[in-house]
Parts: sequence; C-alpha cells; structure tokens
Amino acid sequence: MDEETIKRFEQILKAREFYVVGKKVARVDALDAVLGRPMYTTDLLTSKALYVRAVRSPHPHALIRSIDSSATRSVRGVVDVITHREIPGVNDAGSLTSDRPLLAVDRVRHYGEAVALVVGEDEVSVDEGIAAFRVEYEPLPAVFDPVEALKPDAPRIQEQGNLINHVKIRKGNVEEGFSASDVVIRNEYRTPFMDGVPMEIEVAYAYPEPDGTITCIASMQNPFDVYNKVTKVLGLPPEKVRVIQAATGGGFGPKSDESPIDVAAYAALAAYRNRRPALATFTREEAMAVQTKRHSFRIVNETGATSDGRLLAWRSTLYLTNGPYYSKGHLVIQRATFHCTGPYEVPNVWADGYAVLTNNTLAGSTRGFGAPEAHFAAEVQMDVLAEKLGMDPLELRMKNMLRPGSLTATSQRIDDDGLVRCVEAAARLSRWTERRREHEQFNRANGRYRRGIGIALLYHGNTLGPEGEDYAVVHLSVDERGKVKLQTGLTEYGTGALTSLAILVAEALGIDVRDVELLRPDTRAVRNPGPTVASRTTVIGGRAALDAAAKLRAILDPIAAELLGCRQDELVYRDGKVMVAGDPNRSISFRELVRRAIGMGLELKVEGFYKAPDTKWDKETGQGAPYNQYTFGALVSEVEVDLLTGAVRVLRMTAVYDVGKAINPLGLKALIEGGSIMGLGHALTEEFLLSDGVPVTLGFQGYSIPTSVESPFEIVQEVVESEGKIGALGAKAMGEIPVVLPMASIANAVAHAIGYHIKETPLKPSRILEALEELGIAYRP
Amino acid sequence: MVELKVNGRPYRVEVTENELLVDVLRYRLGFMGVKQGCGEGDCGLCLVLMNGRPVHSCLIPAWRADGSDIVTVEGIGSETSLHPVQRAFIDQGAVQCGFCIPAAVLIGKWLLDRGLAGDRETVRWAYRGLLCRCGSYLRFEEAVAQASRGG
Repeated sequence: MDEETIKRFEQILKAREFYVVGKKVARVDALDAVLGRPMYTTDLLTSKALYVRAVRSPHPHALIRSIDSSATRSVRGVVDVITHREIPGVNDAGSLTSDRPLLAVDRVRHYGEAVALVVGEDEVSVDEGIAAFRVEYEPLPAVFDPVEALKPDAPRIQEQGNLINHVKIRKGNVEEGFSASDVVIRNEYRTPFMDGVPMEIEVAYAYPEPDGTITCIASMQNPFDVYNKVTKVLGLPPEKVRVIQAATGGGFGPKSDESPIDVAAYAALAAYRNRRPALATFTREEAMAVQTKRHSFRIVNETGATSDGRLLAWRSTLYLTNGPYYSKGHLVIQRATFHCTGPYEVPNVWADGYAVLTNNTLAGSTRGFGAPEAHFAAEVQMDVLAEKLGMDPLELRMKNMLRPGSLTATSQRIDDDGLVRCVEAAARLSRWTERRREHEQFNRANGRYRRGIGIALLYHGNTLGPEGEDYAVVHLSVDERGKVKLQTGLTEYGTGALTSLAILVAEALGIDVRDVELLRPDTRAVRNPGPTVASRTTVIGGRAALDAAAKLRAILDPIAAELLGCRQDELVYRDGKVMVAGDPNRSISFRELVRRAIGMGLELKVEGFYKAPDTKWDKETGQGAPYNQYTFGALVSEVEVDLLTGAVRVLRMTAVYDVGKAINPLGLKALIEGGSIMGLGHALTEEFLLSDGVPVTLGFQGYSIPTSVESPFEIVQEVVESEGKIGALGAKAMGEIPVVLPMASIANAVAHAIGYHIKETPLKPSRILEALEELGIAYRP
Repeated sequence: MVELKVNGRPYRVEVTENELLVDVLRYRLGFMGVKQGCGEGDCGLCLVLMNGRPVHSCLIPAWRADGSDIVTVEGIGSETSLHPVQRAFIDQGAVQCGFCIPAAVLIGKWLLDRGLAGDRETVRWAYRGLLCRCGSYLRFEEAVAQASRGG
C-alpha cells in the first residue's frame, strides 16, 4: 500500500474521536499473569531435558594454555562436552559485531567468559562435571580503567585497539563562547556499572524436530538476533532453525544483547549434538556476572554562561567503559554524546565521546542507552551553575530549555513545545516554589533530617535514529469468528507495547481490544521486524500495525460498501460493526462482514510495514538531525536525608512526560511509576562493583535494587501530548524514558537538602556521610 | 513419601532428600505459577502460602511440607471467577513483565485474609520481600487498596 493511502488513513483516524485509543484498557496478557498460567520458558518444558551450563573463566584476561575434559566426561550423568572445536558452524555470538566467540578459542578477555559447555542429565551432574573440568590459563596484563586503556602501552584487548568509537560534536565556536561568558564551571561526574537485572533469568529450551529442525523457545527481546546467531553457530540452513519467544520476565536491555544469544546457542548445540531436548540457563549470580551491564561513565562538563543565566558554551568529554567486546558500546556513546548538554539551547558546543574496551565484564544496552548518564552529568551541572549564579534552578532551566525553533547540540531544529509544557506542568503540580520554601524552612530547625527538592529535564532522541534501520513489520489475519490475530517479531517483555499495537488495530477496525489475539513471536511465522529496542514498538511498530489494519480495510471496504449500498468513504467501523456514516441503522457486524469476505474466497491475511525516514548527521561535527523526533519530560523529586545514617528517602516525585499521543494510558501510568522506581535504584543504591575485573556484587545481597519500602509514597503524573512527526497517531517513545531522569533529579534534591552537589552515583549512605562530614553537618545525637 | 494439600487437593509425592518445595510444586505437580528468580530466598518470586503463611518455597525442603496445606496462585481464582485481588491487579495496571505477579497476588490475598489490607504502611512492608524490577510496587498498593474496599 502506498504511503499516501496510509497517511490518509491515519489522518482519518486522527480526525475523529477515538473509541479505544487513550481509554483505560487492560493489558492483553494481564489475565494470564494474575492466574499464573504457564507462559514463560521453563513453564513450557514438554519433556525431560538435558541440562547445559558453561565452564567460565576466573580470569579477566588470560591465554588458554590447555583444556582437559577427561575427568568431566567420566562424571556420571555427563553426556557431552562442547568446546569451540565442536561448534559445527561459526563460533560467533556477538549481537551486532562478530567480535565475540560463543566459546573462547585461545584467550579469555573477561571474568566469566565461557570456555566450554558441559551437558548432562541434570543440574547436579553438570555442576560436578564443571568442577572436574581443567583449564590451564596464563594470565595476561589486563586493563580496567578507560583512560588507562587508551594509553599507547595499554594491553590491547582486541586487534584493532581499545578505542571503538569517538563521537564528536562541533557546534559554533566554543572558545569564543567561553571568552564571552561571565561564569565558567567545570565538573567531573561518574556513574558506575549497573545491572538491568530482569527478574527472569536468561533461559532457553531447544529440541530437535523429526525433520531435523532445531526449535528454540527462550526469554529474549530479539528473536531474530538469536535466530541469526544460532543458525550460524549450528551451521544449519536457515529453514532448519526456528526461534520462538516465550513470555519474557523483564528485558531492560540485557535481554536484547549477548546473554540471550548465549543460552539459546548452548541449548541448541546440546539439542543438535545429542538429538534430545536441552535446557540452558544461569544461576542468578552467573547471570549477574555475564549479562551486559549499564556502562560506567566518566563525564567532564565545562559550561559557560552570562551573569543573567544565558548558556553560551558547553564542552563535554565522555568516557564510556565497555567490556572487552563491542556489544552496543559504540552506539551507547553516540546517544550519550548527542545528549550531553541536556535539553538546552547552547550556541557553542564541543564534545568528544570515547567508547573504550576494557577487561571488565560485558557491558551493553540497558534501558536508557547512555541517556541517564548524560542527563545526570548535564542536569547536576545546571544546578551547580544555578547556585553559582544565585538563580533558582527552575528559572535557569526555563531560560535555556529547548522551545519551538531552538537548535539542539547537533543543531537539529525543535518544532514542538513539548518541553515547555512539561516544565510548566511539573512546576505547577509539584508546587515547586512553595515546596522549596517549605523544605528550606524545615531545614532551619537543624534536626536530624534535612529535606530538599530537585528537578531535571529530559529530551530523548526517538527510536533507533543513527543506531540502525528503523522499520517494523506486523502481521494481521482474521478468522471466521471475526477474531483478529496479531503476530510480529516485536516482543513484549513488560512495557505493554504489544497491548498498544492491539489497541491501534482495534481502533482502526472498530472492534473490541479483546477481539485482537496476540500470537507468539515465531521466526517461522513472521518476517524480521527489526529489534525490540530503543522504545520503538508503539512508535514504529504502531505504524506497521496501522498499515496492516489499512490493508485489511482495503479488502473489506468494497464488500461492505456494496452490502450497505454506500460509498467506501462513508463507512464507519465502530463497536464491532460497520455502518454508514450518519445512518447507523444501515450496518453489518464486523464478524458477518468477515464471514462474507472469507466466503468469497478472500484471504484476510496482511503484512503491515513501516520504515522511519533515515536520519542524517555529519560524523566529523556531529551536526545534523540524528533523530526523527524527541520525547520531552520533567521530573521533580523531593527527598529527606538522614544526617545520622546518610540514608536518603524519596518522599514524592512529580513526573510529566510529553508522550506525543497516549495510546494506552493505564500502561503508561505503570511504566512511568516503575521506571521512576528503577531510576531511584540507580540514584541511591545500584553499583555493580568489580575488583580488578572480578565482580564483587553478585546476587541480590550484593547488588541492591529498590523494594516497595524504598519507593516514593507518591508519584504524581501528568502526560502532555505534543504530536510527534513519525510515531503512530503522533506517539513518542516512552519505554525507556522514565528511567532517564531519576539519577539527576534525586541528586539535585539531595543537594538542595544538604547544600552540596555529590557528582558520583549512587548516593549511598557512605558517600552522603562523607559529604556531611566534610560540610560539618553530620548529626551527632 | 510426602503427603500435602495443594489448593485444596491432596497429593502424595515421592521426594528425594535434597528436593525443594518449589521444584515439587512446579515440576512434579505442575503448578507453574510458582516462579523462581534467585534460589536463595532474596527475590520472593517463589512465594506460596503454607498453612496460611507466606513462605519462600525455594528455601523449603520438600519433606518439610509433609502434612501441610499449600496455596499457589492457581488456587485462588479462575478466569470466570477471579479473586478480588486478581481483579484489582488487572484494573490497576499492576502487570508489567508479569514474572513476580503470582507472588504479588498471593501477598495481596494474604493481607486481605488477615484483615491487613486497609493499612497502606502494612501493605508496603508486606511487599518488602518481593523484588519487582518493573517497579510495580505502587500498583500493588493500589490494587490491594481496591480489593480491601471490596473491589
């Protein structure tokens, strides 16, 4: 179907009142979840499976001198041992870049790198087999710090060197900007590695079909990434591998990267070699050791402004600490660098972002993809500047924020007023000025507790932009009962995006959401829709869903028009009926219409497609329009700091986001709350620590994520709808967004409470106490 | 040999010394609503009600469940007759990735059974032992409040 027809169809949809879109609709999968129906991978095991687990390196960097699996093979219950030599196809498991072997060949580059697989009848025999496995290593010099890793004499982790991307922004003349500034401040910000920690551990179940096909059911975000690598590893023809996504208990990025490929390939190899079903999973500690982490960042921001608070110059240097393999590090640095000034107009910007390989464990995509770290550094910087200028932090932001006509750091022109509306709403809802005064009043009592309020603003370049081809495919078919089946390789793993697709289809066909049935993502049944990442399912996938619905309408409209004796453009699809506009008595039920169409021999099966326009920017200057549209937002946090223990409590948050168009309001509410709480963890407790490359914070006792009692008592929300250029019905990306601002917003609130900006996360009690001691305000009873 | 009741029905299972209650419930008896997230008692996903009290089934040897009365999420409602907490979880949008929901629903039911569902602070602390990475905690609180108001 041509672009013109689709556009017209969407315009017709937008022009009228919505019947389903924007209404309170329950998640399509909520009923199964509350009843505890089997839907996750290990719920679906059909027969006794072999168990697979990896022998892993205890060294962050070492040569493999020799491997001896003889003792392992003699362990009772062990049925197979697989090293790189036994891989029938290509030893390649890198999600985007073919730099990461599934099983190490002669060298390991991080703690926990897989050297071999042990396959056995059960977990116990496999664990015994692993304990009996002998590997002789020769440790190599390793490097863990990005600045060290860039030195010429640093150990080379991969052939081409340790610098894997250098992203530049060159806008205006930054030196002149600084010369003209009345105030210049320079600060360094640091954030640690963090773990997305989906609650469901990576798992894959593979079995051989009678025709030799290897079918793999697994927990993941991107079935096609997994399919491509499993096919390559097994060396099988494409039609002999099938990957199905089971319900997936959380994604958060790690499940789009390396570890889902690993477990799927482990299970598939074991099933293929032994002609039996096989299950591969991790222990929680193993998962935390090897799943890709949020990169650690070191960011230096230098900012110049006039005495009345106009930003004139901004220089950023960003170091992203990667693991030893690319994963998504080269792309994460790009997003972080493009967003380095925060959502402000600065006439002169100079930025250098470096992504650097180290021998730390794997890092990759995690919800927000570099934006939380960039916003933390930019938004605390804005607060420090406000303090220096003696201005209210909100006032300084309003003076410089992106408005219609503003140019971003990459000189992309902003057309909509989303940010302005978010900031105004957040100030009003949070009662910014009064609350600020109240907290200051509270602090004058000089008791054990201090309170503060902080704000941070967001812009987030939508969907893939410079990170890949931004297209989607959604398949629809209709059966004789009038049920519409929606199937796509885009996946659900918690954000509710597939419910949004169902809502869009229901809206376009005038049926109840419950009459849209979701079929599982299955590489044999659908075309590759691109990855389910970058918050793009509702925005881009939604367009493909509408395209598919329009194609169904193109089949059904002529039949309905003839039956009802009207023109096609007079047809209205609503409440499960198709009727003539202005004459609702002339109608036919959707089901009856479908039955007639099928009776005429028509196949009601279509494929919807959408591809976002390519984005353009100059690699040398970073200037251009790297994203098709931006999500905007503002987050106000109020905290209480215990001057005795250093503990921080978040009392209340006020979150306002410009979502473009709220397709699924109930889903948005949970998403915004939940992302705020995840971000709260990033701000206050989460740090994945390694000691010379060896993880020390494994398990939930080592790595602390927020629980119910750390959650704010209240998260006040409002959404603004400032229509996006490309999203379905104007929707903007939201999946990752709520996790971007909490670090910055909470850090600024803490600074307001204690009178000092801590520039490193997490704001854990020991770090707060250190600051309190320095400030001389620690509480002594 | 262990005899136990699950969701009102009696079962007799031959178990080994090291077998855990979670594995018996899932893989011997087919109650897949019981989840696992760490195997160390930290995440709470394997929570079931044992003789009316919430327990982590990954920490309980199966033999210790002998003679006990277990309730899993499968035992408290059905598609045509949802438990008020299940209804409220759907209404309040509490389900995100869904993986902790069986345990979260059971905590809600326990609060309701004990007459504790009306007190926000109690509800908040009752969920302290359950990790939800999607951060649905405030949704759980709203859902329990809805159920305690009678739907």
